[in-house]
Amino acid sequence: MPQLGESIAEATVIRLDVAVGDEVRADQEIIEVETNKAVMGVTTLCNGKVSEIRAVEGVSYSVGSLLGLLEVTEEEVARTGVDTLESLEAKNQNQAAEEKKGEEENLHFALDGDSYEEDPSIIPSVKGLPVPTGVMGAHYISPRMRARMNDMGLREADISAVVGTGAGGRVTVEDLERFLDYLEAWPSAPASPMRLAVADAMRRSWTRPLATVGLPVILDRVLAHRREQTPKPGLTLYLLRAFALALKEQPMTAGYLIGERVVHPRSFDIGVAVQVEDGVVVPTLRKVDQKSLSELIAEYDDLVDRARRRRLTEEDSSGGIATVTNFGTFGLTTGTPIPLPNETLILGIGAGKKKPVWSEQVEAFLPATEAEMMLTFDHRVVDGGGAGLLLNLVAKLLQEPEGL
Amino acid sequence: MLKARILENKLSSLYKAGKIVGGVYLGKGQEAISGSLGAALVQGKDCFAPLIRDQAGRTAFGESLLDCTRTYLGSVEGPMKGRDGNIHRGRPEMGMPAMISHLGAQVPLIAGMLFAKRLKGTLEGCVGATSVGDGATSTGAFHEGLNLAAVEKLPMVVVVANNQFAYSTPNTRQFACADLAERAKGYGIAGFSVDGTDLLECAKVVRKAVKRAREGGGPQMIVANLLRLSGHGEHDDGSYVPSNAKAGHYGRDCVEVATQQMVDGGYATVDEILAWQEEMAAEVQKAVAQAQQEAAPDPYKEDWTALSTKFPFIPS
Amino acid sequence: MSVTYIDAIREAQEKLLREDDRVFLYGQDIASFGGAFKATKGLADAFPNRVFDCPISEDAMIGLAVGAAIEGMRPIIEMQFADFSSVAFNQIVNQAATHFYRTGMPIPITVRLPSGGTPGSGPFHSQSMEGIYAQYPGLVVVTPATVSDAYHMLIDSVKLDDPVLYCEHKFLYRWLKSKSINGDYLPIGQARIARPGKHATVVTYSAMVHEAVRAADRLQADGWEIEVVDLRSVKPLDLDTVLASVARTGRLLALGEAFPWGGVTSEIVSRVTEEGFHLLDAPPQRLNARDTPVPYHPKLWAAHRPTPESICEALRKLLSF
Repeated sequence: MPQLGESIAEATVIRLDVAVGDEVRADQEIIEVETNKAVMGVTTLCNGKVSEIRAVEGVSYSVGSLLGLLEVTEEEVARTGVDTLESLEAKNQNQAAEEKKGEEENLHFALDGDSYEEDPSIIPSVKGLPVPTGVMGAHYISPRMRARMNDMGLREADISAVVGTGAGGRVTVEDLERFLDYLEAWPSAPASPMRLAVADAMRRSWTRPLATVGLPVILDRVLAHRREQTPKPGLTLYLLRAFALALKEQPMTAGYLIGERVVHPRSFDIGVAVQVEDGVVVPTLRKVDQKSLSELIAEYDDLVDRARRRRLTEEDSSGGIATVTNFGTFGLTTGTPIPLPNETLILGIGAGKKKPVWSEQVEAFLPATEAEMMLTFDHRVVDGGGAGLLLNLVAKLLQEPEGL
Repeated sequence: MLKARILENKLSSLYKAGKIVGGVYLGKGQEAISGSLGAALVQGKDCFAPLIRDQAGRTAFGESLLDCTRTYLGSVEGPMKGRDGNIHRGRPEMGMPAMISHLGAQVPLIAGMLFAKRLKGTLEGCVGATSVGDGATSTGAFHEGLNLAAVEKLPMVVVVANNQFAYSTPNTRQFACADLAERAKGYGIAGFSVDGTDLLECAKVVRKAVKRAREGGGPQMIVANLLRLSGHGEHDDGSYVPSNAKAGHYGRDCVEVATQQMVDGGYATVDEILAWQEEMAAEVQKAVAQAQQEAAPDPYKEDWTALSTKFPFIPS
Repeated sequence: MSVTYIDAIREAQEKLLREDDRVFLYGQDIASFGGAFKATKGLADAFPNRVFDCPISEDAMIGLAVGAAIEGMRPIIEMQFADFSSVAFNQIVNQAATHFYRTGMPIPITVRLPSGGTPGSGPFHSQSMEGIYAQYPGLVVVTPATVSDAYHMLIDSVKLDDPVLYCEHKFLYRWLKSKSINGDYLPIGQARIARPGKHATVVTYSAMVHEAVRAADRLQADGWEIEVVDLRSVKPLDLDTVLASVARTGRLLALGEAFPWGGVTSEIVSRVTEEGFHLLDAPPQRLNARDTPVPYHPKLWAAHRPTPESICEALRKLLSF
C-alpha cells in the first residue's frame, strides 16, 4: 500500500482490476482503494506478471502492507530499481535484529530501525571554537580550573610541577587532582602565614625581568670608623646611608614602571631586610638621605628590634623605594636578592673576607677585607650601565665613612 | 447614560490636569447604544465584553464607579491592581472580561464563554455580548470570531458602533460595502441597523436583538450609526473629523437627544433630569475622591510572577 | 505489544475526557476524522459532544478557549501544525498569557502544537516554536521526548491552571515506540538524564534527545561518555539539573532543532554561563538548525537540522578544547 497522502495511514481496497497471471505495464492502475479523503488508484512500478494477490476487496490495509506480488525480469529490476521480495526480506531481518537489540537493553524508549536514511555524503559544517587547541604548550586555564585553584589557594607557580594532559599540554583539573593525590604520600607541614606572605611577595616580584650585577668593596675604612663609634652603627647602616646618598644622585634608577610611566621616588626611604623566624620582614627608614649615620642609629635599632619581636606596623614597612640586605651575616659571600614587589632595587652585601688585593702603589698583593655587593634591579627601568654607576658610587662613598 | 457622560467629563478634566497615567478613551456619543446594550443584559447570567467606549454599557451592566476611578487613578485597590489600566479593566469572574488592545479579540472570547455554558448545560436563556467599532470589523479576529459563533449557533450579540472614524481613519478607508450591516448576511446571521443617536430607537432594537438571541436565534449583529464626539483618546483633538459630519444627523449628541425624548415623552421632567445630574455628579465626585486617596501599587510588594503554578508541578 | 508516541497522546486525551467533565477538544478535523495525525481517533465517538471540528480560524480557536476557561472549562486545542499557531499568536501571548497577571484569574488551556520536521514536510509544516512562546511571561512550554512523557505531561498540562503549549514532535509520532506508557514519572519542571556520562553534557529536548543519544552511542566507541539531559519542559527550565550535569562534565553543548537566533539553546548557554561559569572547562556551544526556513527536499532537510553526525562533530570539537 503506497503512501497516498500526508495524513493517510490506511486505505480500503474497493476493487481489484487484475487477476493472477495477467501481464501488467509500469504505471498501470491495478487496484482501486478508498481513503478518508478520496478514491485513488494503486499503480505498478514496473512491467511484469501478476504472480500473487494478497489484498481482499472490502478490507482496509495500512500503508506499507504487501498487497500482491509481480514476477519481473532482472533487467526490469535493474531498470526501475524496484524492491524485490529478497531485498525486502533482507531489510526486515536487519530491522528485527535492531528491534531485538533495543528490547534486550531495556531502554526507556525503543528506537525503531526503519527511521529515515541519513545521506552519508552530507558533511555537517560546525563552527570551530575560538582557542586553537593544537597549539603546543597552551597554558589556557579554564574557568573551572581557575575556580578549583582558588578553592585550594593555588597559584600558577604552584602547579608548575604538574604535567598537563589536556589539549596542547594544558593542565586539567584531573591532572591537578592526580598530582595532589601523589603529593599526599609525601611528608608535609602547613605553611606559616609568614611563609605564605613571603611566598606571595616573591611570586609577585618575580613577574618582572630582574638582573643582578656585582662589585666588590673594600671595607677596611668602614670597619676602622666603626671601631671608634659609640654606640656602634651596624654595618648594614653604613650601606644604607651610602645607598641613599648614591640614589639621591641617581634617582631614576629607583624608578617604578607602571604602564608607560616611570614613577620617581619622592623621598629616600630605604628598607632593611630583617630575617625572622620562617621569613623576612622589611622595615623602612625614612629620609635616609637627610639624616647622618649617627642620627639614624636609634631609628635603625628600634626598627630592627621591633622587627625581630614581630611588632612592626603596616606603616613601618611601607613606602620604601629600595631595600638593603646583609646576607653576609649568614656567612654568604654572594647572592642574587629579589626586590620587594613594589620596589625595583635591592642592594645586598656578602660577608667580608680577608683577601689579597693588588696595590698599584707597592706592586704587590696586600691583605684587605673585601665583601661583594650585589645589586638586583628591574631591567625594564634600569640597565647594566645605570646599575654599575650606582654601585660604583656606593663603593666610593663607603671609602669615606666619615662623610656618611 | 447620564452617569457615564458625567463620569467621563470628569475623567477628561482629570486627564487634562495631568492626574491620570496613560491614555483616556471616552465614549462620548456612544452612550445611547452602549447603555441600551448594558441595560438589556443581566449581570450574573449574561456575559458582556465591553470595549473602549462602553462606559455607559459597563455602568448599566453593573460595574461600580469605583472600579473605573480606581483603575484610571492608579489605585492598587482597583480590579487590575495597577497591572493594566484604563479601559482594559474587567471582572471575568463576574462575566465581564478584561479587554486586550488588539481589536476584535473579544469576539471569539465571548463565543468561548457561551460555548462553555452550553457544554455545562447552563446556556439556556443566556446571552453574550460584545461591542466593537467600525475599525474592529476589519480585523481577522472579528471575522474568525463571528464566523465561529455563527457556525456554533451561539447566542451572541455584537454591537458595531460605527462612529465613522477609527482613530483618524474614515469609513471610506475602512470597508467597501455600502452598509456594515450587510456583512451579517455573509456570516449567515441576523443584522440590524439603528440610529445610534436616538436612545429610544437603540433601546428598542437592542432589546429585540437580545431577545432573539436568548430564544435561540444565533448571533445577532447590530450596527449603530453615530459620530464619535471626542478625539480617539483625550490626547487627540480629532481635528480630522470634518465639520459637516459634526453638523449632520449622526453628529447629534445622543445625551441631548435623549433628554429631549424623556421630556417630550413624559418619562421625566427637566427638573428631575437636573436632579439626576446633580446626584450622579456627587456620586462621581465621591468615587474620584476615594480613588485619589488610595495607595498606588508598590513595586516592592509585587510578587512579579505571571504564572499561578509552582514548579515542579505536583498535581493534587 | 508496543505503544507509540501518538498512541500515548491519544490515550492521555481519552483518560482526560473520561475523568474530567471540564475537558473538551477543539480543532480542525479532529472529530470523526480523528485528526490529521489520528491523535484523536475514536474519541469523538466515545465521548459525544466533547470533541469538535472547527473552522480554519486559529485566532478564534484560542479566543474561544480562553473564554471557555474563564467559564471554568479545560479545553485542549489541537493546532493542526505548530506552524499555523502564528495566526493565533495574538490570542496566545496577549489574551491567554497575560490574563492571570492582569486579572488574577488563571487560564487553564492546553494548546497542542505538532512541531518539528519530517522529511518532505517543508517550511510551513516543520517549525519548532518553543523559543518564541517561552519568551512571553505567563506561558508554560513543554516538549515531551518519550512515550511516557507524552502521556503523563499531557495529563499534567491539562491539570495545571496556566496556559500550556504542548509541543509534540511529529517525527516521534509513529517512529518512537515503548513497551508501555508507564515509564518513570517526573513532574513538569524537572529535567531527566536521558543518558549518564562524564566527558561532556548535551542539553536538549524533544526529538533531538534521540539524535543526541545516537551521537553519544557513536562517540562511546572512541571512549567518550557523553551525558544527555532531556529538558522535558522548556519553560520552566530546570537549571539545577543542567548545572549539576555541567558540574560533572565541565563541557556543554546546547542542542535544538529550532532556528539559531535566540531561543532555547541561547537561554541554556546564557544561564549556565551566568551561574556556572566556574564549572566550565570550555566555552559552552550551541547547535541548532540553519538560519533559513526549513527546506522541503529531504536531502536539504537532512543538512538543515542537527544530525547525529553534526552532533558528533560539535562534541568532538568541544571535547578537544
